[in-house]
Amino acid sequence: MTTGKSIMLRGLRKAWGETVSLKGIDLTIPEGKFTTILGPSGCGKSTTLRIIAGLEEVSAGTVEIGGEDVTSRPASGRDIAMVFQSYALFPHLSVAENIIFGLRVRRMGRAERDAKLTAAADMLGLSYLLDRKPSQLSGGQQQRVALGRAIVAEKSIFLMDEPLSNLDAKLRAEMREEIRDLQKRLGVTMVYVTHDQVEAVTMADQIVLMNQGEIEQIGSPRQIYSRPETLFTAKFIGTPPMGTCSARALGIARDDITVGIRPEALVLDQNGPIRARVGHVEYLGADAMVECRVGDETLPCRISGRTELTLGATIRLSVARDDLHAFDSASGQRLDTLPPEFAALSAAQTTAPLGSHASSTER
Amino acid sequence: METARRQWIYAWLMLSPAMALLILFTHYPAVQTIVNSFYSTPRGRRKAVWIGLDNYQTLILDDVFWKVLMNNFWYAVWTIPLSILLSLAMALWVNDKIRGRGFLRMAYFTPTVLPLIAVANIWLFFYTPGFGLIDQIRGLFGLAEQNWMGSPDTALYSMIAVAIWKEAGFFMIFYLAALQTIPPSLREAADIEGASRWYYFRRVLFPLLMPTTLFVSINAVINSFRLVDHIFVMTEGGPNNASSLLLFYIYEVAFDYWDTAYAATLTVVMIAILILLAIGQFFLFDRKVHYK
Ligand SMILES: Nc1ncnc2c1ncn2[C@@H]1O[C@H](COP(=O)(O)OP(=O)(O)OP(=O)(O)O)[C@@H](O)[C@H]1O
Ligand SMILES: [Mg+2]
Repeated sequence: MTTGKSIMLRGLRKAWGETVSLKGIDLTIPEGKFTTILGPSGCGKSTTLRIIAGLEEVSAGTVEIGGEDVTSRPASGRDIAMVFQSYALFPHLSVAENIIFGLRVRRMGRAERDAKLTAAADMLGLSYLLDRKPSQLSGGQQQRVALGRAIVAEKSIFLMDEPLSNLDAKLRAEMREEIRDLQKRLGVTMVYVTHDQVEAVTMADQIVLMNQGEIEQIGSPRQIYSRPETLFTAKFIGTPPMGTCSARALGIARDDITVGIRPEALVLDQNGPIRARVGHVEYLGADAMVECRVGDETLPCRISGRTELTLGATIRLSVARDDLHAFDSASGQRLDTLPPEFAALSAAQTTAPLGSHASSTER
Repeated sequence: METARRQWIYAWLMLSPAMALLILFTHYPAVQTIVNSFYSTPRGRRKAVWIGLDNYQTLILDDVFWKVLMNNFWYAVWTIPLSILLSLAMALWVNDKIRGRGFLRMAYFTPTVLPLIAVANIWLFFYTPGFGLIDQIRGLFGLAEQNWMGSPDTALYSMIAVAIWKEAGFFMIFYLAALQTIPPSLREAADIEGASRWYYFRRVLFPLLMPTTLFVSINAVINSFRLVDHIFVMTEGGPNNASSLLLFYIYEVAFDYWDTAYAATLTVVMIAILILLAIGQFFLFDRKVHYK
């Protein structure tokens, strides 16, 4: 069967006249792994993917696939299969003809072609739909046909551009698993573009987070979640996203630092060092989201749904040292080590009142 | 119940002005034409009398009729496929991302905007023996003068060229509109599979353009009987009916010779041919056309 190939992008730039959509991308996509390219709308995800596919020319930089420089090679010579957001099915051809379109182009023998079609159709549960036209299929079925076309091509790399965005929530969850399984079974290299962080986190071995034509961070879902390198990453990943406030709001006399705390990391603690007032409470059943007012800023906090808080009440909160993230306010970059002033915040036993320079009660 | 009936009445009242006009100026004359073809032409105080199929007998024995019918056949055989092919080629070309395609589109469309009479005048300049553009170019290569419109061998083909030139730009617009509705991702999907330009055209683009081709070809068939304006300006059917077409002949019979009954007979024949062709096309195409 096929085995994946690695992809390497070096110094990739892309501009359309005045609009610069990629400002220098350096990226290694390991073979046989599931990599998602994640980012907000317009950040250049599709452009990156289309450049890998050979559907778009680079302005500068190189694309390597399996160690070979393919920058000027046409799409058909790059050992890739692609699934489009709109599926790109040929409306006048039956499901079967759509799937074997590429095999016909390559003049594959009939017996071999039929065998591949049957195998792919079985794998995707499309066997009973082979004679239909795409317009007679549901969105999920069309999606499967597009997958089928990619499978029979037996390429080393699968490229997918938001393949699930036209499906409803339930189907999306199903297909997510199916695509993930498929990638594992075939052992191909998957590059999957999405703007949905849930998709990225649940499916990927590696996440590439992009922002405004640049890469913000590359890492496993766990790494990106637990150790965001920039303020942008911190706020982009997680539902709901990480809460941030200035250091001063937490009583630390540093103006150049922004603090980030995930809602679930902030815990109610009678002796906690952070004093806050209860703002809006959103009850979600198992848990509730509380807007905690610290100074004139707010931090979201997730508490058990059983705990009842009254609006305007004063509460105390604490946070474990590992759950504290500090960023340089100007550059948005993570601070590798917490400045000493932060010790007070994570010392759970402290009784120091908020607002004073709490360093007096260090352990 | 009441309101339903009232709505019916409204509907009919709304439709009736248009319907009256349609019946008065389209259906009634059509029926009248068929009726007239069974009568003699009224002349002076002699009224039209029932003569049965006499007019049709005349028609079968009329050499000029057979001549213009053959002319019309060749006219159709050349103009229909050529204007369609040319329009498709032009549409494919100006649909590509080429520089100056806006200008090209306009340039191709211009002949369509011009009245056929004006087009005829332009082509008169091309065809004029000696001074005309074509002869001047031929002169550069030392070729002899040629009387394109005056020679029986070339008169009809001169008219055919004008009609194709006029029609292709019009049909191009329909193809262009259809091409713009085809998502570019289809081309990209085919590219990734390694399909050549020609393969993509043959297996994807052309089948998807079939509804347009059907529409355009029906129009082309009708036009091959209808577009005769340039003949009035350029050759008047001559020499010796070499460039005369059925509709032009009908006009001559009706308004030069004032043989209205015979003109009616010719008209009936022409309409019958058109209906047969249109029905044939629908049946021929219907199985092959993919409608979205
Ligand atoms: N053909 C084009 N011509 C000019 N600008 C373009 C073109 N294609 C994309 N761009 C620009 O490049 C930038 C990146 O576009 P891209 O399609 O890669 O974004 P994306 O991350 O895929 O966004 P989305 O999530 O909305 O699909 C955008 O600002 C877009 O306006
Ligand atoms: Mg996109």
